[in-house]
Formats: sequence, C-alpha cells, structure tokens
Amino acid sequence: MSKSSFFDPQTIALHTGYQPDSEHGSRAVPIYQTTSYAFQDVSHGAALFNVERGGHIYSRMTNPTVAVLEQRMAALEGGVGCVCTASGMSALFTTFASLCSAGDHIVSAAQIYGSTATLLGHTLRRFGIETTFVDVNDHQGIKDAIQENTKLLFCETIGNPSLDVADIPALAKIGEEAHLPLVVDATFSTPVLQNPISQGANVVIHSLTKWIGGSGNSIGGAIVDGGNFEWGDPDKDRQFPTVCEPYTPFHGINFYEEFGPSALSMRIRAESMRDFGSTLSPQNAFYLLQGLESLSLRMPKHVENAESLAQWLLKNEAVDWVNHPSLDSHPNKDLAKELLPNGAGSILSFGVKGGRQAGAAFMDALQLATNLANVGDSRTLVLHPGSTTHSRMDAEAMKAAGISEDLIRVSVGIESLRDIKGDFSRGLKAAQKVAAVAQGE
Amino acid sequence: MKLTLNNENIYVATGGQEFDNSLPTVVFLHGSGLDHRSWALQTRWFAFHGYSVIAPDFPGHSLSKGKALDSIEDMADWLWQLLDKMDVKVCSLVGHSQGGLVALEAAATHPDRVRSISLIGCAAAIPVNEHLLAIAESDQPAAVDAMLTWGFGEAYQFGRSHVPGQAPMGIGWQIMCNNPLHADLSACQKYSNGENAAQKITSPAQLILAENDRMTPIKMGRGLTAQLQNVSSHIELDKVGHMIPIEAPEKCLSELQAFITNI
Repeated sequence: MSKSSFFDPQTIALHTGYQPDSEHGSRAVPIYQTTSYAFQDVSHGAALFNVERGGHIYSRMTNPTVAVLEQRMAALEGGVGCVCTASGMSALFTTFASLCSAGDHIVSAAQIYGSTATLLGHTLRRFGIETTFVDVNDHQGIKDAIQENTKLLFCETIGNPSLDVADIPALAKIGEEAHLPLVVDATFSTPVLQNPISQGANVVIHSLTKWIGGSGNSIGGAIVDGGNFEWGDPDKDRQFPTVCEPYTPFHGINFYEEFGPSALSMRIRAESMRDFGSTLSPQNAFYLLQGLESLSLRMPKHVENAESLAQWLLKNEAVDWVNHPSLDSHPNKDLAKELLPNGAGSILSFGVKGGRQAGAAFMDALQLATNLANVGDSRTLVLHPGSTTHSRMDAEAMKAAGISEDLIRVSVGIESLRDIKGDFSRGLKAAQKVAAVAQGE
Repeated sequence: MKLTLNNENIYVATGGQEFDNSLPTVVFLHGSGLDHRSWALQTRWFAFHGYSVIAPDFPGHSLSKGKALDSIEDMADWLWQLLDKMDVKVCSLVGHSQGGLVALEAAATHPDRVRSISLIGCAAAIPVNEHLLAIAESDQPAAVDAMLTWGFGEAYQFGRSHVPGQAPMGIGWQIMCNNPLHADLSACQKYSNGENAAQKITSPAQLILAENDRMTPIKMGRGLTAQLQNVSSHIELDKVGHMIPIEAPEKCLSELQAFITNI
C-alpha cells in the first residue's frame, strides 16, 4: 500500500516534482548541466554533508534535473523515493549490492533478461553472492529455494524474452511469509500498464532506456523504493544489516531508524551513488523526461499494434508459432488479463517454419523494422536473442529461460500497423523461400 | 535509542548522536499518525551542534510498542515519565500540531522544567472534522488520503521534495497508514485545556505558523500567540501547508536555531 500523489498518472508525468522556477519561469524542466553546487557558507556545506539539510552537493549523488525524473517515477509507481542510475543494469546491480553482502543469496526467476542472468549467475557470484534460478510460476520451487541467507526475491513483470507473466501478488505473499523483499524489474510493463508496488512488490526497477524514453536516444535506469517493506522488524529471524545496522562511513547512521519507509533509497543514495557512481546524466534525464511525458499516450498504441500483429502472425502459413500474453495459447493469458488489464506489453516473439536459417532470412529481408539489441523504441525492432543478448547462456539455461534457437523477438513500435505488416510480409516471404529450399534438399 | 518505559519497548531518536543529558536537551514531538521521522533533518542539526536530542515515537507509533495513549494529558504525563527516565531535568520543547498540544500541556504541568517552547502548525485547540474522525476509525487509508491532501501545501501536492528523489507524500502515507491515527485524532478532538495551559507557561515561546495551513488555520495559531505570556518569536511562512517540518524543513530549522540557540 503506497500512495505518493493525488494526481492521475498522466498529470504526474507532466507536472510532478517541478513547477516553473521563480527566477526565470522556465516551463520545461531545465537541464542543470553542472557537476557541483555552491555552499552558502561552511556551515551550510557541513549541514548538507551530514543530512541536516536537504539539497544538492555533487551531481554524482543528486542533480535537480535527475531529481525531477526520480520524483515523477516515485509518484507514478506509488513509491516513497527513487534513485535514477546510468542504466537499467546499474539499477539492478545497485539494488542487489545494497541489499546483499558476500555470503548472501538471491532467489530469482529463471525467465529474465540475459545480462541480468549473467549478473546474478556469474558476476555477483564472484563477490560471494549466490543466486538460485527457479521458474517464475513454480511457486513451490521458489519457496523451496529460499535459504536462511536469502536477502531478496527477484523477477521481471513480463520475462524477457520468454514473456512469462509473473504473478506479483503471489510472489509478494511468498516474500511476506519469508520476510523477504520482492524486487521486480517492470521495464516491459512500464508504469502505464502495471504498478507492481500496488500488487505487493517492494522495489521496482526500470530500464528507462526502453518505453519510458521511447526514442532510443538515452540510456538510464530507475530504482523505485516502495517503502512498504519492514526492514527492521526485531521479531523476525531474517535481518537486513545493510539497511538496519549503523553505517560507519556516515557517522554510524541507521538508515531504517532515521528514514523508515525510505531507508533503502536513502541508503542507495548515500552509499551506492557515492561509491559506485553509476550516475544518470542530467542531459539524459532531460531526454527521458520528454519520453515520460507522452508515455501514457504511446503505450496503448504499442499494445494495440502488438496484439494485432500477434494475431496476424498466427494466421500466416510461414509462421511456426507466436508468443504474446494476449494470445489464447499463452499459458499466463488469464493472469495477464488480471494483472495487466490494459495490455501485456508490446514485445512478442515468434518462430518461422524452416528454423534458424529461415529466421535469419526473415531478419535480413526487413526494411522498416530494425535488427538491433534494444526494445521499447517507438520504432519496431527485431532481434534473434540466441545469437545476441542470450548468446552467453548455454543450451540448458536457454531452455530454462524459455528461449528456443528459432525465437525472433519483436518490439512492436507505434508505426502504422499496415506498414509493419507489409514489412513483415516481405520478411516472411524470404523465410518461406529458404524453408522451401531446405525442404527440397 | 531503544528504552523500556511502563514495561513497553519504545524508541527515541537522538539525531544520530549518543544521548548525553549533560548537554542542553531539545525534545521534538510529532503530530497525529506521524513519528520521529518528521524531524529527520532538524534533529540531526541540533544533535551535531552541541545539543542532545530526544524525538520519541509515542506509544503504538512506528518503532514504539504499546497501546496508543488516548488523551493529550496522558501523552504529556508519558513524556515527563520518559524525561525522568532519561534524567532530563530541563529541556526545550518543540511540537508540531498534536505534538504542540502535548508540549503545551507538558509545559503547563512542569513550567519550571521547560527552558523554551516552540509550537509549529499549532493552536490552543485542534478540533477534528467529524467525518475525518469517523473514517479514521472505519477506513484509515481514506483518512490518511484526506489528511495528506489537506495537510500538504501546493508545492508538495506537486511532488516537491527537499530531499532529492524522495516522495514525502508517499512516505507520509506509509507512516500514517500504520500508526494509530484514530486514537491521535480523538485525543486532539477532546483536548480543551489549551488556553488554560498556555496561560501557565512562563518560558520563552515561539510559534511557527503557515499561511496555507488548512488543518490548523493561521488565525487559530495567532489566537494561541495571544494566550502565551512570553512569545519572543512569531513566524508566519508563505506558501507552506500544515506539514511545516517536512514542507519547509530549512526555514523551520533556521527559525528553531535562531530561537533555541539564543535562549
């Protein structure tokens, strides 16, 4: 339960965190392209450093342009605070590193973005943090994977690229029973389609690079602190020392006691932004703010095009299979309707008849859709994960993540649906030719 | 710091420094449904500038266990029990809203132990709307909605935050939804000794009021000023609502500094 604004989301995206400044009356959020901020005097500087006064010190930690984006994201997700980062991956790393130390453990959904799987399964392991991967809808398996040293549960709202829909309320209940925060990467759903905090999640991660930015021009990430997890309950066996124990580099501050609901975001700001320095630049924050302003208009069009394209592909004889949570064949269709009533995003995947070579022919014949490693652009994007984003995963991990070798991922844009279909028709014809030759052989 | 008082575990924030009763003590008292975090910035300044700070969570609030106290008089009694336990002989009292009523009552019962009193967003009485009182009992989230809507001024309704990246409305929501709001509002509603208490207070007094305060309108705060004998600081802040310590933390701190450090 969290409520951070009385405005509707469309209004939050345009107004929250900034009113025209008193000096110049700038209507648009200004870009504060500065590294640092002058102290009024020595005592003012000291007070800022000791959290006796709010304000900006150095743009690695906070920046006024970035803060507007943070406050809008917090309000949109119904959180108590937000820390923006240089990328979605840095948001994930920062969150994991802020809650876990060497010897700790994470339970993660198996169906997640390839780089996140690598971060959890390889990189963090090097620092003594182990992860157990479990099918996101195997709730008993998730319960069984929880250990004494587990510090968080992790999943994506809609898995990338398998498109499994996570049952956030059920996972939150598992977390609550085990006194574990549920950290959710909600990049694929965006705040327009789903608010995981209202469904029980405790921390929400976004790659702002994707639909929120929308124009494919800026990398950025966000960590939204739900403020709805009781970090310091003394009656629980599981404790969270990074949030609740005195923090020596900051006069022994106890973030939980000092800041309560916003303890995690304050801790992330004080330690991770200072030490890791994965800062979002004010210029990028400005571009991302432009995207956020129109997100509520773009997402319905993304969803409409994705659902229509999925149905159209399903009927095409060159297509072997299609995957989108809106389709009757999707195992989580009912769950998607319940948790994402306005649409389950604009990523779909499919395989063409003729396997890997036919798929490659499809990709190379496209003229409108772009073959690249990104999603969430307003333009339609396509990718073959098996040879790119998930290429570092072995066959077993690929299978566990729900990725077949022939899978083509489509991030459906907001172009005219007629033009997207025309482009895909060209690709499917090329795929059919290759498949026919292969069959003849 | 954690203490036991009346066989209940309670929490008292000390501004990030060890409590030392040899230093002059400043006591910060939170408003209805809130807790010590209302004073996060102000308590740290005093604690790091030669004062000892006590900012308790009243019983049943946030980190303090126990049953919520149901009258302002009981809260004042509880406060003196706490100060006795911490061996504080004399202190400066700072109270916001309901915390201001507790400060008034506490100062009136032991005027010799009060070095100064600062009343923020406060009046001699804080009558509570009957509908608000009713929904605080039947539908607390709706009551919290109403209080945050009425409590915060325009800038904060627009998502302003003095701490970059934070959402004060969301923080307020989390704290107030989990605290005994109905008991607090009932205590405010039935408290009628404010004017009498104000007249008994002899120590220097400060009032920090807000132009856009819709919970305790500024004219009611001015009325309280008229009842106090020794008002040496009366501040009225522009473009600020009822949540003064959160909405205008720097101005609030500056005024507290100027008043308390010069007594």
